[in-house]
Amino acid sequence: MTALLKHPGYNEERLQRVAEQLPCREVQVGMLLSLMGQPQQYSYPSVFIYGHRASGKSHVMHVLMKELELPHATVSCVECVSVVLLFEQVLLSFFGCDAASLLPRSPSLSDFVRIYRQQCSQSPAKQTRYIVMEKAELLRDTDASLLPALLRLQELVEDNVTVILLSEIIWDKFRPNTGCFEPLLLHFPDYSKGELQQILSQNRHSSYSAEFYSTYINILLGVFYSVCRDLRELRHLAALNFSKFCEPLAEGKVKETDTHKLWKHIEPHLKKAMQTVYLREVSSLQWEQMQQMEEKEAGALRGLSAHTHVELPYYSKFLLIAAYLASYNPARTDKRFFLKHHGKIRKTNFLKKNEKTSNHLLGPKPFPLDRLLAIFYSVVDSRVAPTASIFSQISSLVTLQLLAQVSHDDQLDAPKYKCAVSLEFICAISRTVNFDIVKYLYDFL
Amino acid sequence: TTRHATPSIPSRSLQTQQPANILEEARAKLHVSSVPESLPCREQEFQDIYSFVESKIIDSTGGCMYISGVPGTGKTATVHEVIRCLQHAANMDEIPPFHFIEINGMKMTDPHQAYVQILQKLTGQKATADHAAALLEKRFSNLAHRKETTVLLVDELDLLWTRKQNVLYNLFEWPTRRHTRLVVLTIANTMDLPERIMINRVASRLGLTRMSFQPYTFRQLLQIIMSRLNKMRAFEEDALQLVSRKVAALSGDARRCLDICRRATEICEQSASDPNSTVLVGMSHMMEALNEMFSSPYVTAIKCASTQEQFFLRAVIAEFRRLGVEEATFQQVFVQHQALCRVEGLQSISVSEGLAVCQRLGACRLLLLETSCLGVLQRVRLNVSQDDILYALKAN
Repeated sequence: MTALLKHPGYNEERLQRVAEQLPCREVQVGMLLSLMGQPQQYSYPSVFIYGHRASGKSHVMHVLMKELELPHATVSCVECVSVVLLFEQVLLSFFGCDAASLLPRSPSLSDFVRIYRQQCSQSPAKQTRYIVMEKAELLRDTDASLLPALLRLQELVEDNVTVILLSEIIWDKFRPNTGCFEPLLLHFPDYSKGELQQILSQNRHSSYSAEFYSTYINILLGVFYSVCRDLRELRHLAALNFSKFCEPLAEGKVKETDTHKLWKHIEPHLKKAMQTVYLREVSSLQWEQMQQMEEKEAGALRGLSAHTHVELPYYSKFLLIAAYLASYNPARTDKRFFLKHHGKIRKTNFLKKNEKTSNHLLGPKPFPLDRLLAIFYSVVDSRVAPTASIFSQISSLVTLQLLAQVSHDDQLDAPKYKCAVSLEFICAISRTVNFDIVKYLYDFL
Repeated sequence: TTRHATPSIPSRSLQTQQPANILEEARAKLHVSSVPESLPCREQEFQDIYSFVESKIIDSTGGCMYISGVPGTGKTATVHEVIRCLQHAANMDEIPPFHFIEINGMKMTDPHQAYVQILQKLTGQKATADHAAALLEKRFSNLAHRKETTVLLVDELDLLWTRKQNVLYNLFEWPTRRHTRLVVLTIANTMDLPERIMINRVASRLGLTRMSFQPYTFRQLLQIIMSRLNKMRAFEEDALQLVSRKVAALSGDARRCLDICRRATEICEQSASDPNSTVLVGMSHMMEALNEMFSSPYVTAIKCASTQEQFFLRAVIAEFRRLGVEEATFQQVFVQHQALCRVEGLQSISVSEGLAVCQRLGACRLLLLETSCLGVLQRVRLNVSQDDILYALKAN
């Protein structure tokens, strides 16, 4: 850390504060500071910082800008649905709202550069100005000239300005086809297990000792580290389950130092949390309420994905069943399943070389409307007239996203569909109409 | 804040310098913008256009003429000369006076701007495109007696094409009306333009009065240069022969020919030790200028590329030979690249560096690439012939 504290041009106290707020990022911060140089010096025109989610890219930039009080504009590319907003934010944070109001209604890049230069000549930069672009991968989808222009903005506006791009995607997937000014690449590596432990242990509960909390974090990482290294998610889990961990302590059953008993108590609970909380099946609030209620076992509540029961009209159910059969059965087996006098054909006769794998693994196949109706008439016992209501039920199944139309939207005569429901769902539906769907599925023959 | 939306050439504050020596004088005379009084080698075309326009003016009727030819064959210059001669004749009261206006398709932001410009040049009125079209329509359909003929020159006709072709239709429709007294001269590059892009009712109104300007032969090019130099001794005879033969073989573009001659005088001036000595532009200078103009920049680019880039190009060719198709994905080429590096005893590079190499080659258009979002799956094609690459790689 001593290397970090000796950057010329910056206040040592502030650098100390930066170092305190950014644990385990000393190397990266040191690198950034040496790239930035002294405040009045010209910095490199553009820096590209990449790393996984929650590796501290935005946080490091935010703390550096705030603590060292550098002139900066932080722009999130998700918010900037049009470039106007981007230009406005940059001008606003550098020159105040007068400059931003100078922009015409639909400004081009040259408008922005013109106004920037004009403002800059009135108030030239005493320090390097920084534009921090978060989620920079969205810049690729905007106007093709925007990214190359931002990369050499220093040259265009003739001002001491540096553009810092933050992204989770590597630079190779950014490079425009016409070439551009190459930015400096800076990688933020993932936190190791030890570093995660160190960072998570920092925000401990005030009423318990530091060792106790660090034990808790250790147990938590032992369970979750193999599936999740995202700092934000782990922090969320740590906050959520801590009250359960402290329960035996509050009841006076164990002491703080009795690690083994605490572990015994929390471990099955965390295992369960992995199934429910991490996927947000049960919302965090519900989870906390459940922990309060002693009698109710965790996970007894039905999660979001358990609510797969949908009430459908009688014929819609059969239409959906027919669609499922059409999607997952090969068309040449229809005769065998749905005709009355087909004679005996064994499955081996049907098997072709490329059909060793199950159709359920390959996903649903598209089928024409005629086939759907043919299967529908054969699975429904009674006589059904092809009324408008049958056809409107098909199209409403499409709007409910239980079916998916794969052919073009305006095709009236031979539309094609796919069935978009799972096996459990269709089994549940066929049970309600007393139809044994497994008997009709080619995969389960 | 003032905005200078219209780009313009900055105005000259100093006087242009008078040519000091014979080479500078030759350069001034060979400049493309200094069009001579009479165009050599275009006498026949001049005569045809002149008699066409003159007869229309004298008969006080209207008509269309379509002039085509590859760039640099003197179409616009000839028409301008015809108009100049006609105006001279009108001043001498040999023919009735006429009004000349000129529009250029390239100078318009939109084909419909043609109406606005024609109206402005006819009457000085300013109007929107729709309004101008209505005003022109009224003006040309009015049976009131018009005093003088209007000659309209439309340069770069193909750019006035719209989907409904109403601009072209109107341009050719107006002269066919009685009492309009409008002569339309249209210039474009392709000979079969009316048949290719115009619908029948437009092409038929254009009529069959067509003229095509053939590219200059080497004798004509030589004559043009000689007439421009006007017996000034700045070039060796052989050098002029060489440049006119080369250009005539390639395109027959007079402008290109003049440019090369001017470049050769510059080279001659640089190579001369004493600036005041009178040196003729010789074969060597001309050869150098021709090489500069005609040699392919691709070969030079490949020769000057870095080692890894040259290896990558070699890997692309190797992969194409293996696949038998002129297209491969980056990862296929990269496998070849690594093998090549191993054979040559070079340190193999990472995928990121390989992508950087590939995308740099793509940026200078030696390769044709898909968007870089696709990463290693982007397909690679060559923009140069394989022979060119092999030639360039073998040379060093």
